[in-house]
Amino acid sequence: MEALNALLAGFGVALQPMNLMWGFIGVTLGTFVGVLPGVGPALTVAMLLPLTVKLDPTGALIMFAGIYYGAMFGGSTTTILLNTPGESASIATALEGNRMAKAGRAGPALATSAIGSFVAGTIATLLLTLLAPLVVDLALKFGPADYFALMVFAFITVAAVLGKSTVRGLTSLFLGLFLGLIGIDSQTGQARFAFGVPELLDGVDVVVLAVGLFAVGEALYVAAYQSRLAGTVEKVKGSLLMSAADWKRSWPAWLRATAIGFPFGTIPAGGAEIPTFLSYATEKKLTKHPEEFGKGAIEGVAGPEAANNASATGVLVPLLTLGIPTSATAAILLGAFQNYGLQPGPLLFDSQKDLVWGLIASLYVGNVILLILNLPLIGIWVKVLEIPKDLLYAGILVFATLGAYSLHQSWVDLATLYVFGLLGFAMRRWDIPVGPAVIGLILGPLAETQFRRALSISQGDASVFVTQPISATLLAITALLLIAPWLVRRLRRTSS
Amino acid sequence: MIRSRAEIALSLGVVALGVGVAAVTATLPSEGGYAGIGPNFIPAVVAAGTILLGLWLSFEAFTGGWRKRDEQSEVFAPSPFLWVSAGLFAHMLLIGWAGFVVAGTVLFVCVARGFGSRRPIRDLLIALVLSVGIFLFFVKLLNVNLPAGWLAPLLGGAGI
Repeated sequence: MEALNALLAGFGVALQPMNLMWGFIGVTLGTFVGVLPGVGPALTVAMLLPLTVKLDPTGALIMFAGIYYGAMFGGSTTTILLNTPGESASIATALEGNRMAKAGRAGPALATSAIGSFVAGTIATLLLTLLAPLVVDLALKFGPADYFALMVFAFITVAAVLGKSTVRGLTSLFLGLFLGLIGIDSQTGQARFAFGVPELLDGVDVVVLAVGLFAVGEALYVAAYQSRLAGTVEKVKGSLLMSAADWKRSWPAWLRATAIGFPFGTIPAGGAEIPTFLSYATEKKLTKHPEEFGKGAIEGVAGPEAANNASATGVLVPLLTLGIPTSATAAILLGAFQNYGLQPGPLLFDSQKDLVWGLIASLYVGNVILLILNLPLIGIWVKVLEIPKDLLYAGILVFATLGAYSLHQSWVDLATLYVFGLLGFAMRRWDIPVGPAVIGLILGPLAETQFRRALSISQGDASVFVTQPISATLLAITALLLIAPWLVRRLRRTSS
Repeated sequence: MIRSRAEIALSLGVVALGVGVAAVTATLPSEGGYAGIGPNFIPAVVAAGTILLGLWLSFEAFTGGWRKRDEQSEVFAPSPFLWVSAGLFAHMLLIGWAGFVVAGTVLFVCVARGFGSRRPIRDLLIALVLSVGIFLFFVKLLNVNLPAGWLAPLLGGAGI
């Protein structure tokens, strides 16, 4: 009930004309940049961050929510029409979506994706509304030791458990942790790893790291290996409308996918990759038209797309209530909060009630805007897809460098950007994931603060981490996650 | 064979990074009030972790290569890589002096060249329109400061 009142007040904020306009601009720009081939949601959010620096926090974050949603959706348009997934979460969509487009059914594929995203996004936002106050209540019981344990849990799942190689994931994480150490220590004011460079005293900005890894690194890689040659953009022929049969086959898939996507978003499971594939597998198993799978089955688009959007919303639960980002994109969003001196977490629900609930209300609004904008503007998105690769990457880099430069108006940030570009190039070339580095950079300093705060309270007694129940449980689960795969392999070996 | 040589170099690079972090950490103060640990504690943990991970990577590299790698058959093309890099360096040097529009235009043309464009005039025109557009949008609409540089008289002297 209290949540309902807060939400209504939030709508009062989100529906103010200025905020509504920022939402519109955010969704449009997010979709525009998200549609660009090779630009995933993390890069979209990072590149568009400089746009918001002079806005008031509420307007900026509402615009950001729009960018986030738009970026997620823009990627799926690219996948359906071009078959070059800009992000791992779109791979499942590519399986059926692009085949539908090739078979001349691009319209219904885009429609089920747009409407499915709306349905899943709205249900997921409703779940967020109901769940957030509960998690906040729980989070208020968390002490510094518990927060530290939670962050360690997030580190380990994102870096070590998911992904192909534990050691490469952890290496990426530790790189991010190291970069997070650069700058002034928040507890003592001691400068660390800054080597007297004033730009480094502020610490490494998450935008510079993300844009360096994702934009500069990607551009260097694609240029040097000439990979990802331009595919053919499928024509959107015929009607955009779905037939009665399409509707009948789509809506159960949307609902099932929401049920799969949302919970996966709330836990540190590396974003939308797992739930989209789970949804695809579920639909393939339950369908009455198994012969169509692999040739363009509409359920195979409806499910993964809805799961993608539901998990994108689910990610906001730990981000807003606990301040824990569970994907690279969420880490950049957290950076956006920090730019305004705001630290997401249970206290923010108290101290910045209007802002938080305005943001949540704007998610409902953002979903509607997305639905209204996308299908009518499909002609524009197709044009965006046809931008030749040379001009596309040139434009991306002009925008990417702008974001880094606008931080301090200094070439030092541009030099840092290039170094991160080389790093991104190498990580891409030698198969080291970049997501853990971004999460490590943002979450590392927060984890250090909680760690030292916990030890201050216990007067230096390190046993707090295992004697307090929440912390002990979280650390035990983390240890189990690390040991379990190794243990299973061991057992399998002995039994065979 | 070449693949594993690069992996060995990278693995040893990670070890070197860890050693470097450890060396700097040794110069940091350790007093930390009630917590009993100072600003050098977590850096020491990060240094130790990085060295260990570097050793683990080296072990994999020396024993048949990093595990679960995607094989790559494509060949590295140095010239496009250098064009993109040159554009970024030129931009870095020009932006504070010649301004955002000039630096952005040079960057755009270089990157387009790196991606195989053979129409520099077309690229130049698109680059100019794009950077002037971005400049005006950011400076006039969003109040974000960008250097006007050489074109200050034309662009209304906005920025620094």
